[in-house]
Amino acid sequence: MAQILDLATRNVWRNRRRSLTTMVAVAVGALSIVLFGGFVANIFVGIETTMVKTAGHIHVYRNGYFLFGSGDPSGYGIARYRDVMRLIEQDAEMKPMLEVVTPRLQLSGIAGNFAENVSKTFLGVGLVPSDRERMIAWDAYKALVPVPSYGLDDARPEEAVVGVGMARMLHLCRALGGKNCPTPPAKAVAAQTQEGAALAALATAEGTAEGTADGKGAEQAPAGATARIDLLAATASGAPNAVPVTVIAAKSMGAKPLDESFVVMPIAQAQRLVYGRGEPRATAIVLQLKSTSMLPAARARLEALFKSEGLDLEVLDFAQLDPWYNQVRGMFTAIFGFIAALMAVIVLFTVVNTMSMAVVERTREIGTLRALGMRRGAIRRLFLAEGAVLGLIGASLGVGLALLLAWLVNGSGMTWTPPNNVEPVPLLVRAAGSPSLLALAWAGLAAVAVLSSLFPANRAARLEIVEALRHA
Amino acid sequence: MPGHAQGPDGDLIRLQGVSKTYRLGAVAVTGLVDVDLALRRERFSVVAGPSGSGKTTLLNLVGCIDRPDKGRIEVRGTDIAGLDDDRLSDFRARTIGYIFQGFNLVPVLSAFENVEQSLRIAGIAGKERRERTRAMLASVGLADKAAHKPDELSGGQRQRVAIARALVKEPALVLADEPTANLDSATGKQILDLMHDMQSRLKTSFVFSSHDPQLVERADDLVTIRDGRVVEVRRAA
Ligand SMILES: Nc1ncnc2c1ncn2[C@@H]1O[C@H](COP(=O)(O)OP(=O)(O)OP(=O)(O)O)[C@@H](O)[C@H]1O
Ligand SMILES: [Mg+2]
Repeated sequence: MAQILDLATRNVWRNRRRSLTTMVAVAVGALSIVLFGGFVANIFVGIETTMVKTAGHIHVYRNGYFLFGSGDPSGYGIARYRDVMRLIEQDAEMKPMLEVVTPRLQLSGIAGNFAENVSKTFLGVGLVPSDRERMIAWDAYKALVPVPSYGLDDARPEEAVVGVGMARMLHLCRALGGKNCPTPPAKAVAAQTQEGAALAALATAEGTAEGTADGKGAEQAPAGATARIDLLAATASGAPNAVPVTVIAAKSMGAKPLDESFVVMPIAQAQRLVYGRGEPRATAIVLQLKSTSMLPAARARLEALFKSEGLDLEVLDFAQLDPWYNQVRGMFTAIFGFIAALMAVIVLFTVVNTMSMAVVERTREIGTLRALGMRRGAIRRLFLAEGAVLGLIGASLGVGLALLLAWLVNGSGMTWTPPNNVEPVPLLVRAAGSPSLLALAWAGLAAVAVLSSLFPANRAARLEIVEALRHA
Repeated sequence: MPGHAQGPDGDLIRLQGVSKTYRLGAVAVTGLVDVDLALRRERFSVVAGPSGSGKTTLLNLVGCIDRPDKGRIEVRGTDIAGLDDDRLSDFRARTIGYIFQGFNLVPVLSAFENVEQSLRIAGIAGKERRERTRAMLASVGLADKAAHKPDELSGGQRQRVAIARALVKEPALVLADEPTANLDSATGKQILDLMHDMQSRLKTSFVFSSHDPQLVERADDLVTIRDGRVVEVRRAA
């Protein structure tokens, strides 16, 4: 075997230029697979990290909420959610996996800036600001994808953050400033006035009637340059309710529809709006795990726990919550597969060509070795070994070069903005960090090279000795 | 030489009714026709005849690198028709040495490695292989050229390497198809002397094909063929 490899290596160097060209083809194949694979791996990691930072790994809902209830927070709120959270946090099996356990309340309604006579439907979420700060610190993969803080505070429940589009439409830009937040032209303002006035009247009438805990009604909201708005929604009892919030910032939310309707606030304020004086609930208990690999175990444990406690709760992971995650993964996996297959085909043709030429050139030598008593199988192995040497050197070269290039790219500080992202993220190629990718490219292409040599090697082995010796 | 079994009557090679026809498309070309022939062991046999008479065809059959269409070939008492391709390869590896007109050395291997290759194929391992190789290179006068690649050697030196390669495994039979045709006559004579010398030292049987009168003169057994038929067999004492 060592002898065959030695002989194969020497034969590879016989036609230096042809062998080098072949190795370069294999190397380019390996390089492309590793670089693109590393880029895709980084996209996956980036998307996953962003999702885990913002949405956590697992959402616990009242059964049916995910399919039917998101428009009805009052109907699908989790009763005594703090007890459920405690149950999860204190479970011996869950405890070591948990990073953050936090409640969220999803709600919708109408947001009005009645000082400006404008209003708009909103999609809102109430959350625990300090828990969110802990969640956005999660970075198990060192993905370095920044998720900005909302700047909210547990102690100031009346503060809120809105999407830039929302701020624009509610004429909050003068007060908030910032990019992409112009003040609207005068004409458009006039058209909205009537509707706004009607809603303002409603807010004044009903907001105080249902009562807000701190007693601040919508009518008390100071007008002018401060970014005060009122949020209106139907309470659990079906009565309209309103709470005032102070918008402290407008943040870009990526996708336009969300940007134009999103309001985030501390959960206490959201609960005040949805449940009034009733029992405050949450629509979701959000769990962030220490590592995504714990997801299946955590899921299984939660389901068992809820079953044994007789709780009518459902467990969804982040991929289920947002089908976009699997769609993006599927798309990039398909592109990667296509590129890998293309590279394999290029390597296949190159190696078949090189080895076929080698067999033809060395026909007489094959005849000589056979006459000396070499078996057909040994001839076959000799040419297969040559293909393997070409493949292994080429693939090693390619993988090595890919690691070097990845290192250079990663150190260059280049950034890019992935779809649905707000801020640019570092352009990273996860080559060294993806050993399975490296192994796949290396062993895969080496295997393709050996397989490609099979046909020429068999032809060499089948040569008739006498014919081969007559060959010029 | 121990282990060199022989035919019942001391013949190394026996051909009975051997025919070989080549096909070039629809045309059949006669190689050999109904050849009966026996060659004695430990002799210097020469197959002579004009170009196209079938000398190479005969040597290929005797050397077990080709099979006849008809007839029976025995080498050292083994009927080669009974051996499959791998067994026949192993038989060649142990029993038959080849010397080619064009030397046919493996260009990526040094003189030493070319000779050693033949022992590798014969399955001889390690130290013994290296020592036999060294000794054989020395006896063909190339001890100082062991590390040279074939393209760094002259024609005569290359043929010496080829002779060493054929003889190093101590085969019962060495076949040489016009071994001096590619050499000038002085070098050809040296090569011939070397082979003659080796043959009498090692008691190996040599079978040559040649039109070279120098060679024909020295033959113990001289077989003359024409148009694929044996026309004369002359045996020296
Ligand atoms: N592979 C082949 N295909 C077709 N015809 C062949 C083949 N090999 C030999 N022949 C023919 O068979 C006949 C005998 O050829 P062979 O090579 O045995 O002659 P030779 O005596 O060795 O000739 P030379 O002295 O020129 O080498 C010739 O007519 C030759 O053309
Ligand atoms: Mg001939």
